[in-house]
Amino acid sequence: MATDMIKIAGVSKVYDTTQRGRHVALGDISIDIAEGQFVSILGPSGCGKSTLLYILGGFVEATTGQVLVNGQKVTGPGPDRGPVFQEFALFPWKTVLGNVMYGPLQQGLSKEAATARARELLVLVHLQNYEGFYPKELSGGMKQRVALARTLAYGPKILLMDEPFGALDAYTRTRLQNELLDIWGRDRKTVMFVTHSVEEAVFLSDRVFVMTKSPGHIRKVFDIDLPRPRVRAELLLDRRYQDYVIAIERLMDEQIEEIA
Amino acid sequence: MSALHAVWRRNISETLAGALPIVLALGIWYVISAWNFAPASLLPSPVTVFRRFLVLLGDPQFLQNAGATLYRLFVGFGIAVMLGIGIGILAAGNRTVAALMQPVIRVLAPVPKIALYPALVLMFGFDHSSKIALVVADALFPILLATYQGAVAVDPKLVWSARAAGASQTRCLFTIVLTAALPSILTGARIGLIIACIVVFLAEMILSTDGLGQLLVRAARNFQTVDMFVPIIAISMLGLLLNAAFNMLSKRLLVGFPSQN
Ligand SMILES: Nc1ncnc2c1ncn2[C@@H]1O[C@H](COP(=O)(O)OP(=O)(O)OP(=O)(O)O)[C@@H](O)[C@H]1O
Ligand SMILES: [Mg+2]
Repeated sequence: MATDMIKIAGVSKVYDTTQRGRHVALGDISIDIAEGQFVSILGPSGCGKSTLLYILGGFVEATTGQVLVNGQKVTGPGPDRGPVFQEFALFPWKTVLGNVMYGPLQQGLSKEAATARARELLVLVHLQNYEGFYPKELSGGMKQRVALARTLAYGPKILLMDEPFGALDAYTRTRLQNELLDIWGRDRKTVMFVTHSVEEAVFLSDRVFVMTKSPGHIRKVFDIDLPRPRVRAELLLDRRYQDYVIAIERLMDEQIEEIA
Repeated sequence: MSALHAVWRRNISETLAGALPIVLALGIWYVISAWNFAPASLLPSPVTVFRRFLVLLGDPQFLQNAGATLYRLFVGFGIAVMLGIGIGILAAGNRTVAALMQPVIRVLAPVPKIALYPALVLMFGFDHSSKIALVVADALFPILLATYQGAVAVDPKLVWSARAAGASQTRCLFTIVLTAALPSILTGARIGLIIACIVVFLAEMILSTDGLGQLLVRAARNFQTVDMFVPIIAISMLGLLLNAAFNMLSKRLLVGFPSQN
């Protein structure tokens, strides 16, 4: 039995807005995630998925509750938790190589060692021929690969991914999903993955959390019992995969009706 | 190959288009003086003025005055840049600094600094210091405000990405936030530089023993109209050169930012 890597205990977030007063962004969330698990979070827009991820990252403070990572209370950002944002958030003034070297340099590696480490990761995300490019010279899919490499470069044990493939076309998205599973298969990081796509969540995850509408809390947890390594073309024909997708889609449809 | 050609052509035609208004203004000036709309003793021909300008470029006394102006301009502008960026970034990163700075800025920014100049002369004397102080006072605010605005508008996810990678908050402020705010900072600095050019000249005209502004006033008092126009040509040439230098610097500093090519 793997130990719990992440313990989210009674976390909620209330924003004090100047115009509309107190605004509950996130209900009351309690989740435990085992080390090496790939976990996805699904839920209606605005239910607080990003907020939850930001709290885990230590970028935003929870109003109640606490997050424990490896038994340590989260009080701020740290290199054990690496975020990947939907908007890439690359440093526009740094080249591809410069972006990926950033983490290793901050970790105290020498310039040579950081360069070597960054090059390794660029090979991993198939961008070894683009190290001198600036972010604005890359396609969306390439930018997201750089962002992933930049985060992997400082070796976080946990990846916090907020709709990382949301802005990409279907083809690029599928390719990056496969690459992500490849990378994850190598060193089994713990991944918390926010998405709007039910199929993406089922395809990638060990567990899928479905949240209620805003202010969100966990409505249901699905344990995805599908063999790995997963191949998309095979899964599409797999009855169990289809059942998971349909069950989750139904649950989310119900919510939409409740809102309407 | 042909794409490169097109870029070349565009650069050349842009430069020509930029020079056109200046050529036109000089042409009008020339026509007015050549056709004697205004007597040559009041409005000398641009040819005469430029000739005199070239002669004076070899005159040590003129160069000394120009040097004094340049010195005040650069030292004052340099101090304003350092103070403006420093305070602006600190205010963006620290609420206490921001809270302390805001009322000060609100009160001081709209004051016409030139009104402080007599007081500055009494405080610092006739020499460089009083002019430099005035340049700093005038150029500081656009740089400070642009830095602050640019810094608070930086995408927090850039900062979070850096913090997660292990950079401290202070380090993020002076590397990530400062760099991400560069486009805004450079815009502020460009405005500050123009203001600095204007104000150093003004100060020398009002109260000074040397400098280009003082040369102009002295020439006007002695009814030497050609010598009166030379400092104006000199300061506008200087502005042109500084602008070109600024553009080059911006291009280098802003590599990778969206608006640059
Ligand atoms: N800085 C903020 N100030 C005030 N309210 C905020 C702030 N950030 C988010 N919120 C509110 O918190 C709620 C949750 O936002 P969040 O971005 O976490 O949703 P989400 O589930 O990620 O949505 P989406 O799927 O559209 O990305 C929303 O109602 C939003 O209005
Ligand atoms: Mg979101």
